Amino acid sequence: MKWLLFLGVFVSLHAQNKQLLYGFKDVPQQILLNPGAQVDYRGYIGVPLLSHIHFNAGITGFSAFDVFADDGKDFNQKIRDVVYEMNARDFVGFNQQLDVFSAGLTLKTSTQHKLFISFGLYQESDVFSYFPKDFAVLAYEGNYNNLNRRFDFGQLNVSAELLSVFHIGVNKKINSKWTLGLRGKVYSSIVQASSTQNKGSFITVPTANNNLNHVFDLDMKLQTSGLSFLDDSSANNSLDVLKKRLLFGGNLGLGVDVGFTHQPSPEWTIDASLQDIGFINYSKDVKNYILDGDLEYDGIQSVFPQVVSGQTAQDYWNEVKNDFDELFEIDSSTTSYTIWRPVKFNSSVSYNFGRKIRKECNCLDKLDRTFQNRVGAHLFAMKRPNHLQWALSTFYYRKIFKGLQLKTTYTIDTYSFTNVGLGLSASLGSIQFYVMADNLLEYQNLAKSQSVSLQLGFNYIFKNNEN
Amino acid sequence: MKTLPFLKKYVSLILVLGVCYSCIKDTDFEQSDTLTINPIMEVNLVKVQETPESFLDASGDEVPFISDLVVLEALTSNFIVDNLIKAELVFGITNSINKAFQIKMDFYDSADALQHTFSIDIDNSPTNTSLFTEHVEVFENMSLLALKSTSKLDITISLRSSPTGTVLTPDSEGSIRLTSKGVFYLKLSS
Repeated sequence: MKWLLFLGVFVSLHAQNKQLLYGFKDVPQQILLNPGAQVDYRGYIGVPLLSHIHFNAGITGFSAFDVFADDGKDFNQKIRDVVYEMNARDFVGFNQQLDVFSAGLTLKTSTQHKLFISFGLYQESDVFSYFPKDFAVLAYEGNYNNLNRRFDFGQLNVSAELLSVFHIGVNKKINSKWTLGLRGKVYSSIVQASSTQNKGSFITVPTANNNLNHVFDLDMKLQTSGLSFLDDSSANNSLDVLKKRLLFGGNLGLGVDVGFTHQPSPEWTIDASLQDIGFINYSKDVKNYILDGDLEYDGIQSVFPQVVSGQTAQDYWNEVKNDFDELFEIDSSTTSYTIWRPVKFNSSVSYNFGRKIRKECNCLDKLDRTFQNRVGAHLFAMKRPNHLQWALSTFYYRKIFKGLQLKTTYTIDTYSFTNVGLGLSASLGSIQFYVMADNLLEYQNLAKSQSVSLQLGFNYIFKNNEN
Repeated sequence: MKTLPFLKKYVSLILVLGVCYSCIKDTDFEQSDTLTINPIMEVNLVKVQETPESFLDASGDEVPFISDLVVLEALTSNFIVDNLIKAELVFGITNSINKAFQIKMDFYDSADALQHTFSIDIDNSPTNTSLFTEHVEVFENMSLLALKSTSKLDITISLRSSPTGTVLTPDSEGSIRLTSKGVFYLKLSS
């Protein structure tokens, strides 16, 4: 058995879409994006904690430059402009992954039948929030110039999670045209909090004679699990709890990735995958907070005590105060809940061309019969609570020579229409090296970028003699 | 080892692109120190509706005034004290009684010391048609400080004699209605 040893230092800052890595078959990590990807090597081992370090952040609606530009404009006016240009479909997303360990190997059941098994454990954190525009407008303006405007509290949609994922996948080349793959996952949620099923509103309605009617309708919920360790004052205990949860001690869930590659002719390739079809059931250390109530308030009725004995304005005031206290009273529960993982979809179609020609004889190079070029289109989609996040890329892959491959992409997505990326994979002796970066045009001024990406990888390879 | 020069070239290219050329230009991140927002909240306050009977004693004679007291906890809260920069109390009075009134608002602090006072004169309505009077009391600077120390509001409605007004009896018609709202100008700084 020959091993590829991966010593990867992988730093990236980009959207959840990994268009450069997807289908880059010289880099083994691509098999995590499509368990049915074509595998040309016999095995690999990732160095613990160093095989994949990934970080990405993205925002829609504005860039840091819009508010922090040193242009002499009033800062508060710039913030205001941004707030008013954004809408409730804009969002902020953050995602980070760290491979704890990973490996892959080929199992031979017979000379003809080979099965590629890959497995590993990675830690992931994910934060996602839509822009709650109505809350922002209410905070900015108050209700004074917004009579009859319904402030939608359902726009509050935010989630955050820290989890570990153990996965094992099988990849089988059925024949020269089809490769299929399946990956099973066990999720262990370390900490989770989400408030994604909110409803309700606040409206101020003017009535006759300068009077107002304030109508509150609240149906809001925050679900959390795993947060009780925060109450534990001992740092060591907290760390132990987190370690335990990293290794299946958290709230558990199950999921699968499926994928295939179809090569109807040597020139054409079609592939697709679905990642994270799964759920986590939260039953341990659960605490839910519920805000539920309706209230109409149109002022404190004053009843002069000399007139009607018994009740004064003070009594009315107390009544109103109690009503408000009840409205904003937060109930808590420990009811378990289940949340589906955000499903991701990748698919590409590509065309291979241009075999290597030897100059001396003007004939095909017999040592390297593979195509030197590939062009194609790639679609990425991801399910978010209220919408489908998508990206469409075109790419060109070029094998400069056996040990050096390049891939360039042009991507349009929610973040931008000017995303050009470049990826490189190179082997030099026992060392494999790769670099992937997108949004290259934005690198002139990162502050103008809404999402940026940089991935660097140093890989140590035990040469595969059979290749 | 032939690939080395190529690698070096590409590695350098990417590093140059990724590290040296990726600058954050023409920005000033210190600006966020000055973030402020200025919401204006409009909230309904006290409302009153009284008929002529309310101003008569058991034997059917006019009383000189009626009054009521409201304890206000919100105005002395830290949030209001720190963030309120201006307030307007807007009163709308509709009178259809043929009697003139004076409505007096006295603002007391927790030690029952008078902090602020004002009164609104209401004309009588000889034909019992609804007459509308609006009064806006603006609180800024010193009066704003007075408002922020207010914990009790005393509302007094006094009867006033006027040339065309009558003496109230159980048979007098009409009503006096008061609505009020507060417009609170807030300044929230980060």
